[in-house]
Amino acid sequence: MKSKNLSEKILRSVKSKGFKYIELPSVIEANHIVQRSGENFRKFIFSFIDQNGSELCLRPDLTIVSCLRYLENNLKTKEKIFYSGQAYRKSNNKKDSIIRDQIGFEIIGSKDEKKDDKEIIDTSLKSIKNLKYSTGTLTIGNVEIFNLLISKLDIPKRWKLRLSRHFWRESYFNDLLKRLETNSDVDPTIVEVDKKRYLKMTKENKSSIIAGRSIDEILKRFDKKIKDPRRPSKGRNVSKIIRGFLKIKCPINKAAQELNKFFKKNKINLAVDQKYFPLSNKKVSKLNVIFSTAFGRQLEYYTGMVFKIDIKSKNKIKNIFNGGRYDQLISDLGSKKKVPAVGAAINLK
Amino acid sequence: MKNTINIGIPSKGRLRKDVLKIFKRKKLKLISERGERDLIGSIKNKKNLKILYLHAREIIERLGDGSLDIGFSGFDLFKESEFNTQKKINLVKKYDFGKANLVVAIPDPWIDVQTVADLEEIAFEFRDKKKKRLRVATKYPNLTRDFLFSKGVTQFQIVESLGATEVYPFTGSANLISDITSTGKTIKSNNLRILKDGEILKSQACVFSSKKSFSKIGLKNIIKLFS
Repeated sequence: MKSKNLSEKILRSVKSKGFKYIELPSVIEANHIVQRSGENFRKFIFSFIDQNGSELCLRPDLTIVSCLRYLENNLKTKEKIFYSGQAYRKSNNKKDSIIRDQIGFEIIGSKDEKKDDKEIIDTSLKSIKNLKYSTGTLTIGNVEIFNLLISKLDIPKRWKLRLSRHFWRESYFNDLLKRLETNSDVDPTIVEVDKKRYLKMTKENKSSIIAGRSIDEILKRFDKKIKDPRRPSKGRNVSKIIRGFLKIKCPINKAAQELNKFFKKNKINLAVDQKYFPLSNKKVSKLNVIFSTAFGRQLEYYTGMVFKIDIKSKNKIKNIFNGGRYDQLISDLGSKKKVPAVGAAINLK
Repeated sequence: MKNTINIGIPSKGRLRKDVLKIFKRKKLKLISERGERDLIGSIKNKKNLKILYLHAREIIERLGDGSLDIGFSGFDLFKESEFNTQKKINLVKKYDFGKANLVVAIPDPWIDVQTVADLEEIAFEFRDKKKKRLRVATKYPNLTRDFLFSKGVTQFQIVESLGATEVYPFTGSANLISDITSTGKTIKSNNLRILKDGEILKSQACVFSSKKSFSKIGLKNIIKLFS
């Protein structure tokens, strides 16, 4: 009962900031989930087949459903929305509940991204006033800065894309860095053999398709790969820069200064303004505000600002808010246009 | 019969032949009353043993639900089964036969693809440029999914196959496959190539017991006989 009152209070705070309550469907097409997250998400969803043969599933997450709603209703204008309900996921851990309560609020489709980032954080800060706590931390990260850094490094393009794609999967990302430090990824003897084949294939009909890929496509990628090899010595240096970057953690008011110092030291042509960050005070509502470059790695769909709020209450640290920007999600779900979106979820467990 | 011990043997193929050799070596004479095609059998002078000839995949499932007490099958099929099934089965012994590897294979003309890392790139190209998923045909969806995911290939779709998987990339049903192979011959002769680091699992014939049967009289002796 207590937590119900609390969630009602929080919802009221969110509403007072101009967010509109929406109802979301409980069942969605499973295809949407597989399209966004790939095959691995299948392990966690409860799916079934309807009378038309379409695969449906219980919603595993409300953010996805809310983005689908925006897409399917063909909405074009800015929307500030909030929702509350249950999400359903399987777990390998027997003790986990398959039902997760989720309260979230989002700003979808507006152009002023910096202002929206700030508004989502401000709304979280207003809602948190309903809770009793002594201290806490507001951690802010930004996936975009990481991607900018990667774009400036001296490695082949395919490696840049690879590192950006896997930033969110920490253990695999570390494997990538290890690989970057060691041997080259083009085997010279195999390349020699394949070159003969390559020459032969250049004479074939380039538009013919082999298992979904045209000969042209295959040859172009082969060509790019052997012309743009990675050198181990450079790889080691790049890996060192990335590892160094991911250690940056400081009060938010020092973030621009620390980052610029790092870029200068490593001769990287980048500069960040303090205005880039949604906050510039290192303390707000009893929370220490921290900037961390390594933060923001738990979800694939974050593309920019990410944040979380942990509070200390009765000597226990509890995570209360998680959120961030996901400008790619609605396109991944099928939108032809890029639709900016930012949001947060409240964890009341 | 509460204390009848049910033993599952693969009903066909090389695995069946090799398993039958073990019985011969252990001087256990298999009897089939209705001839060679009989799917139920017994062992001479061992009244408490019942032999059931089943599909190797089925043997794992039946060990999981306890209707078999002992079963011979492949390590690959055990690892492919659902997590909850695996938890109910003991691996008694791995044998020296039935060796085969589960591998990822791509169309041979894809000369730009040598490793799983290349595949990871292609998978994103499919998603971003073609707005499609890379499709992988397999009889081993669980093992394949986990392997590809652990190697960074997250953008793909599994197409479940019941057989002749090698042909899928050339009929438009999938782009690549994963399959079990011992010599690699079938893969090669179907214009496919195994990725350099495309080995998902090394498999071999094994004997398993069901954890449920733990208290059956005489079971321990039988298990000892095969291990």
